[in-house]
Amino acid sequence: MRWRTSFLAYLLLAPLLIWLAVTIAVPVGYLVYLSFTDMGIFGTSATFSGLENFKDVLRSERFWQAGRNTLVWIVGNGLAQVTLAFAVARLLYRRSALTNFLQVWIILPWVVPGVAAVIIWRWMLSSIGIVNFGLEATRLVDSPVSFFAKPSIAMATTIAINSWRWFPLLAVILLAALRNIPSELREAAMVDGATENQTWWYIVLPLLRPVLYVLGLLGTLWSANIFDVIWLLTKGGPSGGTTTLPVYLYEEAFARFSLGTSAAGSVVMAVFVLGFVMLFLRYGWGRELGGRR
Amino acid sequence: MRARNPLRSAGSWVLLLLIVVLVFAPFYWIGSSSFKTPPDVIKYPPSLFPPTWTLQNFQKLFASTDYPSYLTSSLFIALATTLITVTLATLAAYAIYRLEFPGRLTILRLMVGTYVFPSILLLIPLFQVMVQLGLINSLWSLVVANVTFTAPFSVWLMRAFLESIPLELEEAAAIDGAGFFQTLGLVILPLLRPGLATIAIYTFITVWTEFPFASQFIIDDAKRPLPVGLAAIIGQYQIDWGLLAAGAVFMALPVVILFAFVGRYFVEGLTTGALKE
Repeated sequence: MRWRTSFLAYLLLAPLLIWLAVTIAVPVGYLVYLSFTDMGIFGTSATFSGLENFKDVLRSERFWQAGRNTLVWIVGNGLAQVTLAFAVARLLYRRSALTNFLQVWIILPWVVPGVAAVIIWRWMLSSIGIVNFGLEATRLVDSPVSFFAKPSIAMATTIAINSWRWFPLLAVILLAALRNIPSELREAAMVDGATENQTWWYIVLPLLRPVLYVLGLLGTLWSANIFDVIWLLTKGGPSGGTTTLPVYLYEEAFARFSLGTSAAGSVVMAVFVLGFVMLFLRYGWGRELGGRR
Repeated sequence: MRARNPLRSAGSWVLLLLIVVLVFAPFYWIGSSSFKTPPDVIKYPPSLFPPTWTLQNFQKLFASTDYPSYLTSSLFIALATTLITVTLATLAAYAIYRLEFPGRLTILRLMVGTYVFPSILLLIPLFQVMVQLGLINSLWSLVVANVTFTAPFSVWLMRAFLESIPLELEEAAAIDGAGFFQTLGLVILPLLRPGLATIAIYTFITVWTEFPFASQFIIDDAKRPLPVGLAAIIGQYQIDWGLLAAGAVFMALPVVILFAFVGRYFVEGLTTGALKE
């Protein structure tokens, strides 16, 4: 019986495992191989070049700039999205026809393709766009702001647009988590004399920890992985100011035709990501995943 | 309970209003711009409603791009991926969360590990795999890649749904003489419908919005899916904002329509799946 159950389990798992092996394990192996060659464009001959690519990458100012930008990107997106998501989750906490409607439709920015979001915001932020009109009409600025002209402003703008796309997803998950917490817990504390703010801080927040762990890990990885919005908004510019690691890797491979360097950079980024995940799991998230039947 | 402070309650209404504007106003603005005539679009100060309504931006969109074939490509990729992901992920999730076997946890961790792996890193080597398989420039290359990105998360989402089905139901079916596949098809799957719908919609949306792989794996313009096909007009018609607005509207419209029908179930399912315990 046991033997039959195991066999059945493997049989059910086989299709997906084989699929993932072909599309992840094989490519990762090939990526590592590429990182030790000098291949330029796909299909050209490749000769073994030892650690040259890794030396190139680690010595390249562009790579480290991309690394720093990725950190700014992750932290900026994290702060903006968590703040907005918490605000929304708390505001929508009380059930009403309006909050029920918003709970579903607020996720709209996440549902539309990044390309559409890029068109929307480039239009709104252009020199004749509605945002500049609003800023000028209220005398906040004298002349139109160029939102993509300077590296630091371009980075802030890109983070804002990406956060606009992603915070609703976090908000919706947080909202559901808040509503899962029995309201008796807060009411009991308030009977005992706690203020409303205290109940949120000392009762609700600790209970949200498992969700925050999951969202912290997934959210960070989701952010780190973003490519389309940045590429379409700024192409990584101006002067590399919004080039995060995915943009750098894409550029090396498909604009600078240096597959070897891109592959080596990918291996380095994979090591960073793995390190981050290990650190995260060390702090107690592993159990959340285990799953018992 | 004490009465709520009216000032604070007014404050939260204002805050809510601001956030609603932040989320939805961009959609209104792109929609209204898409119906404006070229001079009205770039008129400054801008007008909130189109002074004269026109469909010429949409006509131009259809004349200058292969919109119908982009749409067909996107639909094909999204539907095929959804079908495959739902099938593979459901079978795998059943095994992982319902059966006891050696290596269960290792396989679960590997599966989550693949989800954690940044997909952009696979772009180059997966391209090579597609070349080997002869799938470059075929829509199937994107189906193959997208299943890889959506299936592991879908397995994880299925957990809460599977665990909500009492084991006794299966045992009862077994006692009545049902074989495994009969039990799966007649007892489990019907009860799993909310979960199946959730991962189907999740997959559909993920595929619909996917950009980097679609931009490299498909070479013929006419075969491109929507985001890539329409991304080209950003470069070509840099300042034709009416046309770009029409493009954005037509890119968003299919998912908005889908969402109008299934949005509620999706948000419920996603939060159930993500909030196990």
